[in-house]
Amino acid sequence: MKIRTRLNLWYTAILCGVALAVIGAGVYHELVIENRPHRHHGLKSETELDSEDLIDILTWTVIPAMVLGVVGGWWLMRRALAPVADLTLAVEKINDQNLSQPLPRSGNGDELDRLTEGFNAMTGRLDGSFQRIREFTLHASHELKTPLTILRGELETALHEEPATAVQKERLASQIDEIERLAKIVDGLTLLTRADAGQIALKCEPVRLDELVRESVADAKILAQPHGVEVRLDQCDETTVTGDRHRLRQLLLNLADNAVKYNRPGGEIHFSLRQEGPSVALRISNTGAGLAPNLQARVFERFFRGDASHNSSIEGCGLGLSIAQWIVQAHRGAIQFASQPNELTTVSVRLPLAA
Amino acid sequence: MRVLVVEDEKKTASFIRKALESEGFAVDVCGRGDEALAAALTTSFDGIVLDIMLPGRDGLSVLRQLRAQGNRTPVLLLSARGEVDERVEGLDAGADDYLPKPFVLAELVARVRALGRRGGESKATVLRASDLTLDTISHRAQRGGEVFELTAREFRLLEFLMRSAGRICGRMTIIEKVWDYDFDPGTNLVDVYVKRLREKIDDGFEPKLLQTVRGVGYVLKE
Repeated sequence: MKIRTRLNLWYTAILCGVALAVIGAGVYHELVIENRPHRHHGLKSETELDSEDLIDILTWTVIPAMVLGVVGGWWLMRRALAPVADLTLAVEKINDQNLSQPLPRSGNGDELDRLTEGFNAMTGRLDGSFQRIREFTLHASHELKTPLTILRGELETALHEEPATAVQKERLASQIDEIERLAKIVDGLTLLTRADAGQIALKCEPVRLDELVRESVADAKILAQPHGVEVRLDQCDETTVTGDRHRLRQLLLNLADNAVKYNRPGGEIHFSLRQEGPSVALRISNTGAGLAPNLQARVFERFFRGDASHNSSIEGCGLGLSIAQWIVQAHRGAIQFASQPNELTTVSVRLPLAA
Repeated sequence: MRVLVVEDEKKTASFIRKALESEGFAVDVCGRGDEALAAALTTSFDGIVLDIMLPGRDGLSVLRQLRAQGNRTPVLLLSARGEVDERVEGLDAGADDYLPKPFVLAELVARVRALGRRGGESKATVLRASDLTLDTISHRAQRGGEVFELTAREFRLLEFLMRSAGRICGRMTIIEKVWDYDFDPGTNLVDVYVKRLREKIDDGFEPKLLQTVRGVGYVLKE
């Protein structure tokens, strides 16, 4: 029950109680105390007249006062609690992206204004913490690149300059591969951290999505061939979206690569691009082991790799779908993941059509 | 060719110098931005490898100042941040090329060499390497009397490799030039395409033209 309803009920009950007490007291006074001396004189008609007056008085004063009191109380309550409703709406809109925007304050110094001030101070502190985490990750990934550059350069120098046996060369090359992987993780992390901090601007232009899809289907076919996986383009509506060409290509390649990597030998991949109302729907489905329902909600989490983390044959750093999600959301779209284990796994992307 | 390497990290500067010297370049190394600017304005270099984060004066500012003074020495920018915006910013400031850290050393060497060749790319429509020919108009490759049909992407890849024949092409360079991606796609796309191309132009022929340089990329033998 709302506070407002509860207060209103209490207020009405108290008002009725008080009114009843007043009436009761009045009646008692008229009938018992006032009439006592008259009984000896036998003037009963006067008493009857008095109680009729009393009923008139009650009808024309106490009852209207009560009605006015209830209505007025309801109005006051509504007025007093309206800022709470506004505050609730404003607080509901807070997320990690707009923490730095303070809630609007009335500035009149009342309890609610102080509550808002407290909220603003709290979100301010949270914003500061988030920012420090982002800066830390950004600095960490930047600082990691210098030793990585040195390691890579020195290993490469060793690989090509020093007289090394085939075994030593193989070992050096394998170390370079690992450095490469580390560099990719650092790159992905830098990208996502900068995206979180709102530091990446998309270069938006009209982009023919169907052309990009055909291109990524061609790439997927090549990537899938060594695994005997068949790639099909079921539908490809001619559609234009407003977006960053490079990022959209990165998104498509990311999803295509996943569809190949998490497939089974001899499996299938289906692409479809359909115009649906004011938006365009891209679906990429693949056969393969898929993901248990209890893990599906976590696929967009950073470094989440499902069972792949135990399967070293599947390359990747666990940031691909997080990056895909960022790209889709930066284009004001939505991305979904659905998987029926051992049947089909589908990633659906919905983007608004260009105006 | 005389190259100025501007890099404050001593170890990095040292292996860049070593790699360039072993390829026959004369190398000057400088660890500060302000000193690098003075050196570039007084000495004539054939190319400059310029790090962005530098003490004294940052790389982008050195580059802008250099261009503002009318100095056209080709510049290869290095950056640890490796983000698209920075690359665009660098090229806008007048850089001729950009390489994010950590880079492949052989790729850096190939790009420094390319700095000296700007604009000198062959305009030939029929490219040759050993007994392999590629007609850039009909998009057909031919070797030992056999004609191969190429997909659009295979053609662009082969064309790029043939125009750079004899030189190592790093994966990053191939991705940029053939796919026009300005990000590392994190897939083995290049390797799979090269494998397909190899099946067409090398299977059943000797010598093998398309060779892998482990940890770096590929090279098409001349």
